[in-house]
Amino acid sequence: MVMMLSKTHFFIGLLMVTCFSCKPKYEAPEINSGSTNPERFLMVGGTFASGYTDDALFKYGQENSISAYIHKSISQVQNSNFKQAFTTEHSVGMSSTGLSRLILGYKTDCNNETSLSPVRESNNGDASVLNNIYTGAPFNNMSIPNLKLVDMFNEDYANQNPFFGRMASSQTTTVLSDVMELSPSIFSVFIGLDDFMPYIKSGAKDDSLPNVTNFENDYRNLLQNLTQNGAKGVISTIPDITSSPYFTTVRWNDLVLDSANNAILNSIYNPLEFYFYEGNNPFMINDPDANMFGVRPIEEGELILLSVPLDSVKCYKMGTLFPFRDEFVLTHEEQVEIRARLNGINNTIRSLAAEFNLALVESEDFFNHIRDVLPYNGIELSNEIISGGAYGLDGIRLNTRTNALFANEFLTAINKQYNASYPMINATSLDAAFFP
Amino acid sequence: MRTLFSVPIAFLALLMSEFSFSQGYQVNFQGQKQQGMGLAGTAILMDGSSLFFNPGSVAFSNENSINLAVTPILGNTLFTDSTTGQGYRSNSPIGTPFSAYGLFQLKDHAKLKLGLAAYTPFGSTITYKDDWIGRFALTKLQLQAIFIQPTLSYRIADVIGIGAGFVISTGNVILEKDIPVQYESGDFASASLSGSALGFGYNIGIHYDLTKKLSLGLNYRSEIQMSVDDGSAVFEVPEGLDENFPDGRFSGSLPLPKVLTLGAAYQATEQLTFVLDINRVGWNAYDTLAFDYAVNTSSLEDTKSPRMYESTFAFRGGGSYTFTNNLCIRMGGGFGFSPVQNGYITPETPDNDRGYITAGLGYEFGDHFSMDATFYYTQMTRTGHNTETGLSGTFETKAIAGGIGLIYKW
Repeated sequence: MVMMLSKTHFFIGLLMVTCFSCKPKYEAPEINSGSTNPERFLMVGGTFASGYTDDALFKYGQENSISAYIHKSISQVQNSNFKQAFTTEHSVGMSSTGLSRLILGYKTDCNNETSLSPVRESNNGDASVLNNIYTGAPFNNMSIPNLKLVDMFNEDYANQNPFFGRMASSQTTTVLSDVMELSPSIFSVFIGLDDFMPYIKSGAKDDSLPNVTNFENDYRNLLQNLTQNGAKGVISTIPDITSSPYFTTVRWNDLVLDSANNAILNSIYNPLEFYFYEGNNPFMINDPDANMFGVRPIEEGELILLSVPLDSVKCYKMGTLFPFRDEFVLTHEEQVEIRARLNGINNTIRSLAAEFNLALVESEDFFNHIRDVLPYNGIELSNEIISGGAYGLDGIRLNTRTNALFANEFLTAINKQYNASYPMINATSLDAAFFP
Repeated sequence: MRTLFSVPIAFLALLMSEFSFSQGYQVNFQGQKQQGMGLAGTAILMDGSSLFFNPGSVAFSNENSINLAVTPILGNTLFTDSTTGQGYRSNSPIGTPFSAYGLFQLKDHAKLKLGLAAYTPFGSTITYKDDWIGRFALTKLQLQAIFIQPTLSYRIADVIGIGAGFVISTGNVILEKDIPVQYESGDFASASLSGSALGFGYNIGIHYDLTKKLSLGLNYRSEIQMSVDDGSAVFEVPEGLDENFPDGRFSGSLPLPKVLTLGAAYQATEQLTFVLDINRVGWNAYDTLAFDYAVNTSSLEDTKSPRMYESTFAFRGGGSYTFTNNLCIRMGGGFGFSPVQNGYITPETPDNDRGYITAGLGYEFGDHFSMDATFYYTQMTRTGHNTETGLSGTFETKAIAGGIGLIYKW
């Protein structure tokens, strides 16, 4: 046996020596910029592109913004500068409503049940985030939270939107004017979603939908500026964000009734000819057109927004005795209206891409893949809140991993349009949510 | 019977081993002489290893023998991701498929032969480097199966032998992968599934000498379901997710496919022999890899991963030339089709159609001792994707093996 083993070892040694040649050789694929010039990259956009996620602007989100990943790829072909208007290190960030960023923590609800949930990292947002840092300009990521296309030409915008105020060259400058400080050689634009967002996020109650003609004129104006020095670029259609967890987490029939509650609701609503059953039922919503009481059960396909106060739903009869108010619901009618406008705007963007010979990202395909579950290197990305691994803790914005994947969509479009081969970003080991 | 059992078992204990590289997860190193001739030899009595290749051939032996062999193999896989262009290598340990055979007859020229075989016809070990792009599909797979096969062979006529063995298969499997949820540190969670399995089957064969020079062999090795009934699933996850990923039991099974082999052997001269084998491997048995967890949660559901293997053919052949001074040289090669269809390529078995070459040497030291040594080389490239995981790229593998075997006969 001893002889046997030593012979085995001898053979193993012999194999190792002879096996230098039995390792496959790695050859890095060729990368090139095609007909683009990667020298000065510029991103123009709104909330999504700014790095705003987990409902706040903070440095980590900016470092992992869509633009950061597009540049990461582009700079592999040719090294170049990339400046962002960073907030301070380790800041808890600032949300549109003055709050800190969301993190995953434990939350105890009205039933005294504690569970993992997005919670604010701090009681207040970090006001220093809004300090003006124009001295660091020109910025390569000129994406501004809540920026509507129409506001790119607004001379009072630095006063109206503190997220622009912090980057603006002066109080009276326009976004477009500051954008053009860089004179890009290659650009990407993801703008327009914020033109829809206030309307969609308020259950079609506040604000209004963008006007297609105005949008087209503004967009053309923007592109004329961006391309005036021969820059090449990529623009994107606008996704239907109602597939995000913010609109899908509370489902229409998530009202579960035991026999007692079932009896109460039937006694109240039977006169209106609404009937409830033990088990799953549709929530009640306000709808002025429904009947003289202005209430009806929500229908399948209608959306309840994550802005509903969940404790009120769980413990204080919201969605039943107290129907969901308009601001918490997107009805069929409202969704049809949004969808139609989205189609109009997206057709405009498509024709502008053709008009200016620009690459085009069909962003809706990407968001629909996530809605339908997107397998990515063993990860199943979906629109489940948190566990789906695609969206940030706010349920609307993408997380680091999907920012990189979305950046790949822009890169793919550039590669196709300009015969380039910028490498895709490996998003596999990038961050999603951090669990305690 | 004591000696008969103690030798192989001691051998097993030493070489309880990791081995890799194969068609699917089939390992074809069961006899040094056959390995030298392209892994073929179903229609020819070689030595005790014919207990595996064709129990029918064994009926023509006229000796008692003990045969021990091991074939260390070194395989290297490079995965190049098709979208990022990044390359990742496997960290594969040296595998040591082995075989041990005891062949006996109660008296000289007896028609009945007794045999006991232990060998490793299936297995796969592959470990990928940390942080590789397919980490959520697989980080490590270690699959081992050891077959123990008591066998009876009988020469029913001067030119016909039949044989049958009962196969007891013991095995174990370890499968590890990362889970795409993160600790606050940013580290990813991971899962480790391990279990042992037991299965039963048989190996039957018939050998027919058509002429003095030409013989035929037909061998059938049955499918064996390796069932893990009480596997252990261990999850390293952040505390906040402990309830979602409870450690516990799981069950699952893996089919070891049936193999039907038709072989021919032609003795051209006293010195020169040619062999040819055609295998039909019933890989279609492997359509799904399913894990059934004893405790399910919203995060931990039973999984059913499509594998959709297809049954395949393999063609193997070679020749040997015996010099008068007891030295024999062998050469051969073969070609095997991959059971893995496009869309179902996994990091577990990055498989493709492939050719291989082999060579071997044999030497007899007097009447009792002989030794054989072999060399094997193969390489293959497989480009494709997996529809379940979305992993897409090119697997490139090279493997080299050197085997050595000792036989004592009396």
